[in-house]
Amino acid sequence: MNEASLIGLFEATVSFGALLYLAALGEMIAEKAGILNLGVEGMMAMGAVTGFVVALQTGNPWVALVAAVAAGAMIGLLHGFFTVVLGAEQVVSGLSLTILGLGLAAFVGRGSVGEPAGAEMVSVDWGPLSDIPWAGPILFAQSPFVYLAVITGFVTWFVLWRTRLGLAIRAAGESASTADAAGHSVVGIRLAAVATGGGLAGASGAYLTLSLTPQWADGIVAGRGWIAVALVIFGAWRPGRVAVGALLFGLTLALKTRLQTFGVDFSPILLSMLPYLLTISVLVAISIRSRNRPSPAPAALGIAYRREER
Amino acid sequence: MNRPMGRRAGRPVLVRREQVLRGGQPLAFGIGLAVALVVGIVLLVGSGHDPMRVYERMFEASLGDPRAWSVTLNRAVPLGLAGLAVAVAGSMGLWNIGAEGQIMAGAVGAAWVARIGGEWPSPLLIAAMLAAAILGGGLLALGPAIARARIGVNEIITTLMLNEVAIRLVQWLVHGRWKDPDSHNFPLAPMLPDNARLPGLFERAHVGVVLAAIVILLFGVASSRTAWGYELRVAGSSGATARYAGISLERKILTVLVLSGGVAGFAGGIELSGTSDRITESLSNGFGFAGIIVAALALMRPSGVAAVAVLFGAVQIGGQSIQTMGVSSSVSTILQALILFGAIAAGVLSRYRVEMVAGDTTEVTS
Repeated sequence: MNEASLIGLFEATVSFGALLYLAALGEMIAEKAGILNLGVEGMMAMGAVTGFVVALQTGNPWVALVAAVAAGAMIGLLHGFFTVVLGAEQVVSGLSLTILGLGLAAFVGRGSVGEPAGAEMVSVDWGPLSDIPWAGPILFAQSPFVYLAVITGFVTWFVLWRTRLGLAIRAAGESASTADAAGHSVVGIRLAAVATGGGLAGASGAYLTLSLTPQWADGIVAGRGWIAVALVIFGAWRPGRVAVGALLFGLTLALKTRLQTFGVDFSPILLSMLPYLLTISVLVAISIRSRNRPSPAPAALGIAYRREER
Repeated sequence: MNRPMGRRAGRPVLVRREQVLRGGQPLAFGIGLAVALVVGIVLLVGSGHDPMRVYERMFEASLGDPRAWSVTLNRAVPLGLAGLAVAVAGSMGLWNIGAEGQIMAGAVGAAWVARIGGEWPSPLLIAAMLAAAILGGGLLALGPAIARARIGVNEIITTLMLNEVAIRLVQWLVHGRWKDPDSHNFPLAPMLPDNARLPGLFERAHVGVVLAAIVILLFGVASSRTAWGYELRVAGSSGATARYAGISLERKILTVLVLSGGVAGFAGGIELSGTSDRITESLSNGFGFAGIIVAALALMRPSGVAAVAVLFGAVQIGGQSIQTMGVSSSVSTILQALILFGAIAAGVLSRYRVEMVAGDTTEVTS
């Protein structure tokens, strides 16, 4: 195990961590407003294919990113329409969104399989910072997506916990009728939150096809959307803890292809079970603890709100 | 109960109908199917195909003759059993999102029995395989069941997470221990011996079709005609009522979730022994997730599950057949999701009507 391969491991940990963090933040925002969206996998696929196809046509990765965010937000809004406006079962609608998103992405991308990327995000050059040993390559030579994820994390924290808008969003997720009585539009807040979540999942998908693995293939998201869903619980609906979880789960993704290099005789497939098993353990721990104190989960999560039926 | 509604002019709101429209769910399903087919036409025309020819081919390949029916019925088996698994839990207000993984666990159980009992007489071997499949699926659901019953851990997330674990368990087996030495380094387990395969029924259909139908029928009778089924529905609609009636919630949750997992595991055993003949990473190719849509469309009722499963089987088999015409099989995936979305919308409209609410002062009586 030499220095270069360790640096490579941590660099990949940060990259994968940011990929998961973007999608998990989006899911967290939607859940904070009371909407569980199990369509992350499908929204990421839509973002990934949209980013790739638009990059092919425009050659501009930033235009591609904007298009991917828009695609994620739009398909996310479909879930919003069904669960918020029509009051449909969130679990069913979300899983159908995953199926629809994977299907649509495969359909849109069917002609682009194996094509070389039209454009890639260039890693940010931080000048002298990028030359610092260890910290330079790990933190200061990453794709713009990584810094985007960090900024989004701070903005999410600030908006949710330090602004009136954030208070309204959290109220919609804790007690929709209270938020309504306070004069907030629960429907508007929840739709906006789901659309934001979809947009961030779209950005996460675009990170795959514009930066991490610049190509399109069916199944490119490969279950990472489910990890993002898990992360929100693992991080107890708090941006800081979700970030720690993202790095931890990112480490397992980064290790998967490197176990052999490090001479570790352990199956990478078994290692990849770890995020899911850790999430289950955390969920059990939360439940045991919340016998004495309130659960960190938004109280109205998963419950449709119809004003005339409250 | 009067309440001021709306702040802007011309805002649509949903108002509950006094009576649910009749013929509700089959009609909603029909509307969903129609919506899906119309969107499908747009996609097909947009990609330069003749939609009528594509739909004709899909119909012929899935429902056009006995042979097509036999393939469709085979496909309806895992879809129907997965849908039943979801419906069994759903009748009590629980969500088993883990059918995908439980199908895999069931197949692992059955494959394991086939590995040790290769010399056994066929009926004995198949019975043991299917029993192991039920056990495998039930075992995967046992953890979430205990956690939910004892300490109230949300079963949606635990069952969902275990899907990914079970799929990776199968990957681990077929990449390593169970890899066929003659597979030219492909991650494939060896083919099952002949005596481990389900006997045929007609054309390509196997006995699993009958077994699945019996299981679905049994659950249908149990849920609508027995005290057990009644207690489940009471427990699902109100925990407090159930407690007053002396129903042990903890035990009900435990048995229902494990039973649900067992049904999904059974699907995995049949799929292995009847259709796929060897265990692969893609043995449960989204059957568990499609099962959730099937159960939702059937409103969690076993009788409806069977019918919806056959239709979804037809859409899937039809979707595979159009690949020879150069049409992406993703069209069928899209159709399946759209049927559900269309049916949800239609279902909501059978219970609510849309009213335009104008201005600040409007009062709506509900």
